[in-house]
Parts: sequence; structure tokens; C-alpha cells
Amino acid sequence: MDLSESLHDFILVFLGSGLILGSLGVVFFTNTIFSAFSLGLVLVCVSLFYILSNSHFVAASQLLIYVGAINVLIIFAVMFMNGSEYDQNFRVWTVGDGITLMVCTSIFISQINTILDTSWHGIIWTTRPNQILEQDLISTSQQIGIHLSTDFFLPFELISIILLVALIGAIFVARQ
Amino acid sequence: MIFEHALVLSAFLFSIGIYGLITSRNMVRALMCLELILNAVNINLVTFSDFFDRRQLKGNIFSIFVIAVAAAEAAIGPAIVSSIYRNRKSTRINQSNLLNK
Repeated sequence: MDLSESLHDFILVFLGSGLILGSLGVVFFTNTIFSAFSLGLVLVCVSLFYILSNSHFVAASQLLIYVGAINVLIIFAVMFMNGSEYDQNFRVWTVGDGITLMVCTSIFISQINTILDTSWHGIIWTTRPNQILEQDLISTSQQIGIHLSTDFFLPFELISIILLVALIGAIFVARQ
Repeated sequence: MIFEHALVLSAFLFSIGIYGLITSRNMVRALMCLELILNAVNINLVTFSDFFDRRQLKGNIFSIFVIAVAAAEAAIGPAIVSSIYRNRKSTRINQSNLLNK
């Protein structure tokens, strides 16, 4: 979006802090229902982040599908299954947790090194000049619709079949 | 600049998702951490599509496909977990030995 620079930075810091605290809450809350609501906070922050990076259609579908369907389904599963169990589910710090923390921290540090070492500005300035034309003619939602009905038509149909089969299978597994 | 910040945020989300996926003892929490990993992948796709591919927006289409597959996974996962819970009265990962009859 075309905001001013300081407002843009402020919104980015706000969303980033919400995302980091929410994801830490998903992993480290002892009660599972708290971590399910914290997952909802993370998903809303990711959706606002998509709006900030000009992808309104993906933001709307993220808000509808993730927050409206997946998070509600997860909260339902937590409430359905977590009646008497979460009090004995306290966390003890074992050796495996320490090893996993070390491995994940090393993955994170190596990813940050790779991101900061790559010269993204050169790639941006080589691909920028052919992006200007036909920018304002059609909106991004129309562009996504055109691509879904021409180039990506077969994956679109296949994803609908996958979704149908998965939902029927979920009903069949959960029904008995 | 927003680009490196978005990539660092998605790297953090990916790492904390993998940490939670490995160390969690509850199956529902493992599913939540899986959603975190998929969201990290989606942030990467949307950011690269916004910065490098503004004409064709193929990253947005791939992220929509990822969201659809995540919806299918989130329908299947709690169904299997509730089936295990109904048989075992427990959703702990290290106690799910349904196959050793």
C-alpha cells in the first residue's frame, strides 16, 4: 500500500511484534486453548501483513480460510479433547528440548546470514523496468482470476477434488 | 526496508514452528505448529511475488494453493486425532501405539 514511510514502519513493527509474541505463545503456553487463541493472533497478523504487501486477495482468503475455518476447527478440537488432560501435560525441560532448541537456532542464524548476504537490490533493479507497464490496467484480483482460469486451470480443478475427498474422508473418520 | 524484514520474520516463524513440532507432546499443538510452518512459507511466497513478479503474481496463486492444501490438512488432522482420542483416551504423541496389537 502507498503509505508514508514512518507509518509503514510503525505498522510493520507492530505486526512483527504481534507475530513474534504470538508464535512464541503457540509453542510455550502450557494450556492448549491459550495457544490456540494465540495461533489466531498470529494468523490475523499475517493477514494484515499481506495487505501491507499489496496482496489483497490473498489477505482476504487468509482471513476467511485460516481464521474463519482452520482456527475455529482447531479450537473445537482442543475443546473436544482436552478435558482432563492438560494439567498433567506440564512441560519438563529435557535434553531433547535443548538439542532441538540448538538445532533450530542454528537454522535460524544460517537463514539470517543467507538473507543478509544476498544482494536483493541488484535483482530488484534488473526486474523492475518490465513491471511498470500495464500496472494500472487490471487489478490484482482480476489478474489472479485470469491466471487461475487459463494457466493454472488443471491445478485448480485438482485442488477442488483434493478438498472434496479430504472433507469426505474427515467426516468418515470422525463419524464412527 | 520491508523485504529483508519480511524474510527474517518468516525465517523466525519457520524455526519456531519446527521447534514446536518436534518438542510438543500434544497432537493438537503439533498441528498448530504445522500451521505456523505453512504460514512462513506463504509469507515468503507473497513477499517474493510482490517484489519480483508484480506483473504475473504467480506467488500469490501458489500461496492460494498452499492455503487450500492447509485447509484439507486441517480437516483431516483433527479427525484422525479425535479418532485416536476416542480409542486411547489420550492425545499424547509418545503414547499413540495403535498398531501393536
